[in-house]
Amino acid sequence: MTVVGLRLALLALLLAIWEIAGRLVNPLLGVPPSAVVPALRDLLLLRSYPDLPANILLTLREIAAAYALAVAAGLACGFVLGMHRLAGRAWGPMLAALYAVPAVVWYPSLMLFFGLDAASKVAFGFLLGFFPIALAVLAGIRQVSPQLVVVARAYGAGTVTVFRRVMLPAMLFTLVGGLRTGLALCVIGVVVGEILGSKAGMGALINHAYGLLRTADYVALVLVTLVMVVGSDVLASLLERRARQWTE
Amino acid sequence: MKVRALQLATVIVVLGLWELTARMGWVDPLFVPAPSAIAPALVRISGGAVAGLADTLGKAAVAYVLSVVLGVSAGIAVGSVRLLRDVLSPYVIALYGIPKILVLPWIVLLLGYGTTPAIFYGMLHGFFPIMVLVMGAVRDVDRTLVTVARSLGATTWQLYWKVLLPAIVPSVLAGMRLGVVFCLLGVLVVEMFAGVRGMGYVLGSYANGFQAPELFAATALVSVASITIVLALDHLNEKLSRWRG
Repeated sequence: MTVVGLRLALLALLLAIWEIAGRLVNPLLGVPPSAVVPALRDLLLLRSYPDLPANILLTLREIAAAYALAVAAGLACGFVLGMHRLAGRAWGPMLAALYAVPAVVWYPSLMLFFGLDAASKVAFGFLLGFFPIALAVLAGIRQVSPQLVVVARAYGAGTVTVFRRVMLPAMLFTLVGGLRTGLALCVIGVVVGEILGSKAGMGALINHAYGLLRTADYVALVLVTLVMVVGSDVLASLLERRARQWTE
Repeated sequence: MKVRALQLATVIVVLGLWELTARMGWVDPLFVPAPSAIAPALVRISGGAVAGLADTLGKAAVAYVLSVVLGVSAGIAVGSVRLLRDVLSPYVIALYGIPKILVLPWIVLLLGYGTTPAIFYGMLHGFFPIMVLVMGAVRDVDRTLVTVARSLGATTWQLYWKVLLPAIVPSVLAGMRLGVVFCLLGVLVVEMFAGVRGMGYVLGSYANGFQAPELFAATALVSVASITIVLALDHLNEKLSRWRG
């Protein structure tokens, strides 16, 4: 109880400091919370950016497309590498090495190839989401005890049964974690892509507000985007919990 | 042996297919140049790109040192004081999780273009994963060790220096391994968004100028550099853990 109270007190203190500091500095740079509230109201009532819903929808669609591609490719790639010993030992480290490259270096090439529209954001989100999913599948398969598989086979289980009843439950924990990380990274990829260069979507609106020094609108747009980001993660965590219940 | 051969074969096949795709005109060479066109570009850009890479790595190094020092100390401070940890940890986790790109425009408004925002933003990227890892490690230090040290009369200073610090070394190393890529990422993002120098800026201007061979060559250069850094760190880590026994 006291902990929750202290947390709220800290939040209030931070907001108060922000309010005071925001009023002291140049209004083009500092936006106190009291200025964010009207900006947020204008934004949500579609006064400052009438095309907000279309842009939200576009960003969500980019995220969905990127994530669908990342899941499909990540699962396929992970299972191929995990099931095939030589392939896993040869390509697993190569995959991990590519994962060590700060992904944003690929973005200019993707933008050149796919253009400024949604495709380059989808491609970048896919690229970010793909690696954690593929690597989680790979790690998950390695966690499955070979003895369990051997015993199941000895009792006459077919490949499908072994996969469904032995491997999937054993690796689910890691797999679902990877799927969740993958979603978070897809979201980040799409948002980063939009902010680094786009014509539509939340990132484009943020850039527009920033470029015109409409800082209060910028903060309001960031808050709306944050709701999308946090919402996607909450959804993923609910699914994660469901999956864990299923294994127990 | 077989593994190495397969890896080498993969690289050759991929490059070969890529070359073929470009030569046959299945992709527009304006956007995807053949490897044979990228190699001379690598030589052509080497002067400017190496300077840009040095600039980027320099900024990333400063950001990295800052994020390790601040992240480890903040992690120890918050992790070892129960009340502080309970109150702050949801905020720290939240700050760790949100996409930092959203505050980048504001950072650039406040700090301007150039080196300072790049270092700050790179540090921001590296700081949180390190702090979260260290915080967790401090929390999970074996209580028995602490109790025994206390009952044998260890001072607070000795408790931190002789018990806590050795116990969290693996997590600090893991955080340092993670932090490198994050710092580099942060610096590159700022250079692309609001850079005047550095590899991110170089990549962005090649893309804007439709200089595809140069762009691919520069991308390859940064990728190789970061893979080398990470592999070197892994190697160092392995040596250290062997030395620790």
